[in-house]
Amino acid sequence: MLDILLPILIFSALLLTVIGAVRRVRLWRQGRPSPVDVVGGLLKMPRRYLVDLHHIVDRDKYISKTHVATAGGFVLAALLAIIVHGFGLHSRILGWALLAATACMFTGALFVANRRRNPPARLSKGPWMRLPKSLLAFAASFFIVTLPVAGILPADFGGWLLAAVLAVGVAWGVSEMFLGMTWGGPIKHAFAGALHLAWHRRPERFSTPHNASAARSSGLKALKLDDDKAKLGVEKPADFTWNQLLGFDACVQCGRCEAMCPAFAAGQPLNPKKLIQDMVIGMRGGTDAGYYGSPYPGKPIGEHEGHPNGPIVNRAGGALVDAETLWSCTTCRACVEECPMMIEHVDAIVDMRRFLTLEHGNTPNKGAEVLDNLIATDNPGGFDPDSRLHWAADLNLPLMADKREADVLLWLGDGVFDMRNQRTLRSLIKVLRAAEVDFAVLGTEERDSGDVARRLGDEATFQTLARRNIRTMSQYRFSRIVTCDPHSFHVLKNEYGELGSADMPANYEVYHHSTFINELVKAGSLTFKEWKGGSVTYHDPCYLGRYNGEYEAPRDVLRALGIDVQEMARSGYRSRCCGGGGGAPITDIPGKQRIPDMRMEDVRATGADTVAVGCPQCTAMLEGVVEPRADIKDIAELVADALVIGQSTGKTASSKSAPQPQRTVEEVTP
Amino acid sequence: MPPDAQSSSATGLNVAVLVSIGRHPLTARTRRADQDARAVEMALTLSGASVSLMHAGQHDSDNEEAIRGYLGMGIDEVRLLEQMPQADVVPVLTEALRASAPQLVLTGTRAETGEASGILPYLLAEALGWPVINGLAAVEKVEKGVATVLQALPRGKRRRLRVRLPAIATVDTSAPAARQSAFGPARRGEFDVQPHASEADSALTQWQIQPARKRPKRLKIVKSSSARDRFKAAAAKSDGGGGQTLNDVTPEQGAEAIFKLLREEGVLR
Amino acid sequence: MSELVRRDPRKEWIARNRLHPQHLEVLAEIGGNAVATEWMGPNGLMRRNPHAVGFMGPNGIRRIDRSGASHAAHTNARSTQSQDSRRQVTINTPAFMVAVVPDMAGGRLSPHDRDLLGLARQLADADPENPGAVLAIIYGEHKENAFGEAGVDRLLSLEGEQFDGYTPENRIAALQGVDREIAPRYWLLPDSTVGGGELGRRLSVRLGERAATQVWQVEADSDSDTGWRCTTRGAAGTTDIVRALPRVVLALAECADPISETRHAAEPIELSRGLPNVLGRIEDIGEVAVDPASVSLAEAEFILSAGNGVKDWDNYHHAAEVLGATKGASRVAVDDGHMPRDRQVGATGTWVSAKVYVAVGISGAIQHLQGIQSCEKVVAINLDEGCDMVKRADLAVIGDANAILAALVTRVEQYRAEQEENRDAA
Repeated sequence: MLDILLPILIFSALLLTVIGAVRRVRLWRQGRPSPVDVVGGLLKMPRRYLVDLHHIVDRDKYISKTHVATAGGFVLAALLAIIVHGFGLHSRILGWALLAATACMFTGALFVANRRRNPPARLSKGPWMRLPKSLLAFAASFFIVTLPVAGILPADFGGWLLAAVLAVGVAWGVSEMFLGMTWGGPIKHAFAGALHLAWHRRPERFSTPHNASAARSSGLKALKLDDDKAKLGVEKPADFTWNQLLGFDACVQCGRCEAMCPAFAAGQPLNPKKLIQDMVIGMRGGTDAGYYGSPYPGKPIGEHEGHPNGPIVNRAGGALVDAETLWSCTTCRACVEECPMMIEHVDAIVDMRRFLTLEHGNTPNKGAEVLDNLIATDNPGGFDPDSRLHWAADLNLPLMADKREADVLLWLGDGVFDMRNQRTLRSLIKVLRAAEVDFAVLGTEERDSGDVARRLGDEATFQTLARRNIRTMSQYRFSRIVTCDPHSFHVLKNEYGELGSADMPANYEVYHHSTFINELVKAGSLTFKEWKGGSVTYHDPCYLGRYNGEYEAPRDVLRALGIDVQEMARSGYRSRCCGGGGGAPITDIPGKQRIPDMRMEDVRATGADTVAVGCPQCTAMLEGVVEPRADIKDIAELVADALVIGQSTGKTASSKSAPQPQRTVEEVTP
Repeated sequence: MPPDAQSSSATGLNVAVLVSIGRHPLTARTRRADQDARAVEMALTLSGASVSLMHAGQHDSDNEEAIRGYLGMGIDEVRLLEQMPQADVVPVLTEALRASAPQLVLTGTRAETGEASGILPYLLAEALGWPVINGLAAVEKVEKGVATVLQALPRGKRRRLRVRLPAIATVDTSAPAARQSAFGPARRGEFDVQPHASEADSALTQWQIQPARKRPKRLKIVKSSSARDRFKAAAAKSDGGGGQTLNDVTPEQGAEAIFKLLREEGVLR
Repeated sequence: MSELVRRDPRKEWIARNRLHPQHLEVLAEIGGNAVATEWMGPNGLMRRNPHAVGFMGPNGIRRIDRSGASHAAHTNARSTQSQDSRRQVTINTPAFMVAVVPDMAGGRLSPHDRDLLGLARQLADADPENPGAVLAIIYGEHKENAFGEAGVDRLLSLEGEQFDGYTPENRIAALQGVDREIAPRYWLLPDSTVGGGELGRRLSVRLGERAATQVWQVEADSDSDTGWRCTTRGAAGTTDIVRALPRVVLALAECADPISETRHAAEPIELSRGLPNVLGRIEDIGEVAVDPASVSLAEAEFILSAGNGVKDWDNYHHAAEVLGATKGASRVAVDDGHMPRDRQVGATGTWVSAKVYVAVGISGAIQHLQGIQSCEKVVAINLDEGCDMVKRADLAVIGDANAILAALVTRVEQYRAEQEENRDAA
């Protein structure tokens, strides 16, 4: 009897799965077009999954191993079951193989069940609680029905009662595993996830080194502003590209993003996992009542609904997502770094912010003012752009406009208007002079890099600023740019390139000052005193670390100073944001606590007296924490304090002073 | 938020907003003028009112950019009464207002470029025979051709006025701040350019216009017969004195001192 | 120093003769009953007695205080005496009139009004042969009694209920009447937000004159038609426009020095013709009671600002209500969620310009101090005597913020009760 029932069950399930798959694909195709290498992507998919992604999945060893057993067992079991029971190819060897596969899957499923006994808060409940039982039912049923095939039991053992029970078990397992895959059950992640890997919007993330945590593609993609018809950002779910929608659908609701999100931890109304689920809900149409994970802090579940062609954020509020959810994000990329499905949360958030800013004109709190300032004065504070170099009146900084060329273009950033950051800049210049670096600054020709404008969604202002900066820089010759602002560093390095043109290319070699100082140290151009300060910890800026993968250079510099870095529990790629990125201090969405306070708690836990930073935003945010707290010092300051100047005697002194008299002569003669 | 931030019902009201080219105080870049933008904001918060924008001036790319700043607040079209540079815009605006007959005309108190005398609304009102009020903080309601409005007084105070429409009202910085100008609507907004004959402002040619000089700070003049007193007054620190610190006092004594100061300054009511 | 020097040769002789028995008394008498150290000798030279200078210090040594402190009383007495003798100027038959319409904020001449009267005097007195007269036009009741000292020759007080409240139409009609009857050569109004700026613009339009607004300097200029040229601010204060002085002038504060050396008649005059009656289209319904808590920080005149040192927030909110103050907060208080973000004072929040700013438990970060730069009086309530806010404050009370606030609330409530009683009694 089972011989007749099983093929019917399997093939009808497969048919329904295919129908579901078509429907699913049509849901994704609601999105805007986005060219991908369809076949090539599919061919690369296994490697992307098994090699590239492994590094991220393996951060949670328990679930990584469980997943190998369960998913590996399932894929094998499913294929064999179709052959053995579907086509009735009752080969003993295949039977044994199928038995082994189901046993493997069963073991894995037991571990899944164990995880689900007392699941951590980040995991979604609801249908996900059912999943281990379904896995067990699938594995057990197929194991038992395969026993006769393997010749262990007689073909007609047990009678029809057992057969009926087994048929129910198989039906349950098959419908969860096959139908669920394309009709929206938990196993959907396997189907959508695999295709997402194949047709990912950022294929560069799967290049050498084949490690999704190290191969980087973090620059935002530019909007085409000269096209009047192009949508400015994302208003409704269907405005995402189709592969972005596919990516959202791949979410496995593991909640790793939620666990890492600084805004969520601070009680701001953002949960990256829920956001992605909301996008899925919007893509399908419906309410969020069927979501079983943690809500946005302070926002009850069941009050939001959306539609593929309905607005995500209503002008009046409501709809699928509240605006403040989008504005809570610090764009720290912790969620993206952590996501085992390679979902691009930050891209999606900025896409939606773009619409809010460019179409609604609804950048909250100081956002509008900052953007107006950027437009009118080229800096977010609204300071007189001619006063950019006032802080350095005594430093006699070489100007690009005078020199026309230099080895290093020192990008000062908007920190020039901030008295705290001016100390960092002074230190950096002291270091550069001590190492006899041939550098020059743009001075009043420099403008804001456009980072804040872009993260606030004002792509128009970003592109204007970027193009003007590119034009300015194209007049001069330099081999690299050095900056102490990771935000400028990131946009100059990763986001300007797309805006360059044939006659004004904008692909620069950009160095963060810590990397550059590290090179100087390695080349032996700097001599240091012995470190006498207390213990030091290092805070990785998001835009340097996660965005650009520079974790080691700052630590190398600190080590070169003789500092033994006390690492925080969350450091490196898991570093917790200071709360200063993505315009978050400007949009200022209230939460239960402040992100910098939490970060300072992390610092406190190490017992360090000083926290070394490499970003003006981090400095400002961390120094805003009420005392008593550790001192905050930029790497440049630590280096400058430890410098021994004039030890390499004659050479340093003469060559350092040599250019100066020349200059004076030039100035005096006319 | 001030109490006058809420929108008011003004169904069917025809509001014209006169907008000018602004100029950033630091960088001198053209932009939407702050007070005019506040006027647009006020017009937009009048629920049910139909808002039309009007600008009289040149039509060039710089000006267009600035006017798009107003369109970005969510306005579809602006009427541009094209004029020669340095033309007297009163006749053309009078004519345009008379023809379009709005019930309420809003505009900023003073322009950010040119003479910026702030007399234009009064000239228009005189020419049209309409009443004019300044320092509008909010329109509370419009009923039977009479608007009830709040006028801003210094230090956050408000005065309620009733004014018969049609009327002209000017808006200054005590009105709610203008909403953000968004790129999308600004790009889409349209210009209805209407060339008009310009009347040159003849007086302008006789004036010398130069960058503002810093005004001399008034010295404290001490009319004393004694040279020592005069010297001491001149040499004294400008903000010396003040700084009284009460240490080791009971809370009551401290409170009494503060209370005295509050009374002297007249802030207790 | 126009006073006549009266001399008594006998006393001077005694003063010179140290052996004369009356020497000391006479010295004292000449020196204005203090010990004389200086007196005028017979040749008109000042004589000085170095022995009489100074005072005996606590250790019996004579100390000389060169700071002038010990002299202050005596010199001041003399200077006040001389100040009182300002020149009385009366202009009986003025060649022309310069009309000034002061704001009279609070019923008194404001400093701005006085500057304007100073400017009016410059215009009126330019030709000493044919001086003009300064006419001040005021509406309704006033409390000012020193128009003469401020430089007013003629005072026209327009009274009547048509000028009560906000009645620009009636006021302009009245000024138009004045213009017809007196035809002043110049009309001067303060370019202020409290009234003059608006009235002046209305007047210039009504009279068909192109007014000069934002005038900050007026100089004589023989090339100009009117004999004067003025410098006005244009383009939001970024340009200076130099032009001939027109008939209607709206001047900024400090456009001229106020009058201090002369006194004038301030002779009341009246209009011969009655004032026209105007049908007003603007009706004043009166001032609106504004809840101080809802006043935007930038506009508020009295701010009670709370910082990290405030522990009992209910007490603070209660205090703000009782005092009728607008609430402000430091960044930390906002960050900690005690106050909404729109209440944050400082460079990163709102720049405020209150008359009185009370900082409770705010130590005074640089950004915060930047934001309160333009406040007139700052009161600090703080535990830490060394903090920057205390240094900035005009009055600082060191102690527990909570207790002081509570005491202040009690004191103000008591004051309110007294006021109430007085009112009931009256």
